[in-house]
Amino acid sequence: MIFFKRHLPLAITFVMGITFALQYYVPHPVSEAAITAVSKWMQIISGFALLLGIASLFHMHAVKIRRQAAGWGYSLVLYGAMLGTMVVGFGSHGETKVDGAQTAFGWLYDYTMVPLQGTMFSVLAFFVASAAYRAFRARSREASVLLLSAVIVMVGRVPLGQVLLPWAWDVTQWLMNVINSAVRRAILIGVSMGSVALSVKIILGKERSYLGGGKDA
Amino acid sequence: MKAFARRMVAIDRRIIFLLIAAAVLVPLLRPFGLPIKVSPEVRAVYDYMETLPERSVFLLSFDFDPSSKPELEPQAVALLRHAFRKNLRVIVMTHWLTGTGLADDVVSTVAAEMGKQRGTDYVFLGWAPGAYALVIAMGQDLYTAFPSDYRKIPTKDMAVLEGVRSLRDVNYLISLAAGNPGIEMWYVFGKDKYRFEMAGGSTGVMAPGLYPFLRSGQINGLIGGLQGAAEYETLIGLTGTATAGMDAQSATHFVIILLVVLCNMFYFVLRGDPGRSR
Repeated sequence: MIFFKRHLPLAITFVMGITFALQYYVPHPVSEAAITAVSKWMQIISGFALLLGIASLFHMHAVKIRRQAAGWGYSLVLYGAMLGTMVVGFGSHGETKVDGAQTAFGWLYDYTMVPLQGTMFSVLAFFVASAAYRAFRARSREASVLLLSAVIVMVGRVPLGQVLLPWAWDVTQWLMNVINSAVRRAILIGVSMGSVALSVKIILGKERSYLGGGKDA
Repeated sequence: MKAFARRMVAIDRRIIFLLIAAAVLVPLLRPFGLPIKVSPEVRAVYDYMETLPERSVFLLSFDFDPSSKPELEPQAVALLRHAFRKNLRVIVMTHWLTGTGLADDVVSTVAAEMGKQRGTDYVFLGWAPGAYALVIAMGQDLYTAFPSDYRKIPTKDMAVLEGVRSLRDVNYLISLAAGNPGIEMWYVFGKDKYRFEMAGGSTGVMAPGLYPFLRSGQINGLIGGLQGAAEYETLIGLTGTATAGMDAQSATHFVIILLVVLCNMFYFVLRGDPGRSR
């Protein structure tokens, strides 16, 4: 069993990792045909991953409902909404419109999902304002610099600020293009180097946590 | 004075919510109509679109869902209007499953408004799984990745896709993204290998994180948030929801600045006070 649980996945990871890292640099038709085929496999695997995710979500909430764990009522709502959407979706053959007319699935999308997601996101503005009032304080020199930059960017990014304080626009552009870019680039390079190192460790079998936490892994 | 400052620091959050609600609603009901200044990063997108000859292939990827609709839908509408006005061939798709219906609605509405035909002037490919794998698949062979469009019409022999075999035949790509998969993924797995020009449109929160890609030329332009959408509307001379929303955004920013300044003043008054952080 250890062969299927450990050796085979490690071998597949090693072979595929090395092959497709090199493939990028080999524009030969055979290499191109290989990446075309593998990209299709990856799409199929992604489709299965989606199904697995749905199954896992159903299982997790079913356990919560059965045990009547804290917040199990929300799990019930989630179950109802998911099953309801699936039934309506299958009934409408996954179409939101047929010959210009809205289907039940389209109605469900337009009048529940769109306003619900929009509401959730717009509520953030209120909480951000409240949090900024309480937490955005000039406690130290560093915090004062952050506060000042934030105020300048908030003024410079809106038309009212551009009319009242025209210089804020230029300062905002400089902050975004120079200071912000430099810091973000440093973070990006760090993250990318970390990703490369992790990928090499996975390909070489040094990092095995993706195999699961079983004692054979 | 200290007692007043202490009371103000602990102000009921519902008063702040009311101030924000007023800052959003009043300008929407009574707009100020302030002029919109265009940034170089938004102008770069507009200028590149202007250089594209008629019937060039323009791919617009709706990489967002309804939660980012207020910021990214105006960008999509402005870009589609510009592309259709330039008689470009438009390919629309999404990497976000929950954004499929939204993308279909937007492209159908703008195309109808501009008198464009599905299959001849534009196509909506819909969603397919895979994200980065899908980008690679599209780069290798578009028809393998999307054998049919969202309405299940075979993509092969579609007039709008004439001469288009893969991403290598796309003249300009813009990803309107609210997260990942989005702009960065399109660059890493798409542009870098298949050599097409691309730009990005993003929510206001994401925009600062994309400036390194802009500065290095990995994307040639960036439309950031509602402000970016309003700038693009100004450039194409068609005002839409973004321009209308900018007055509300101006007022909200100033209310937040006022609140932050006031709170810092109250904290200054309370410096040394043992209970000030409550």
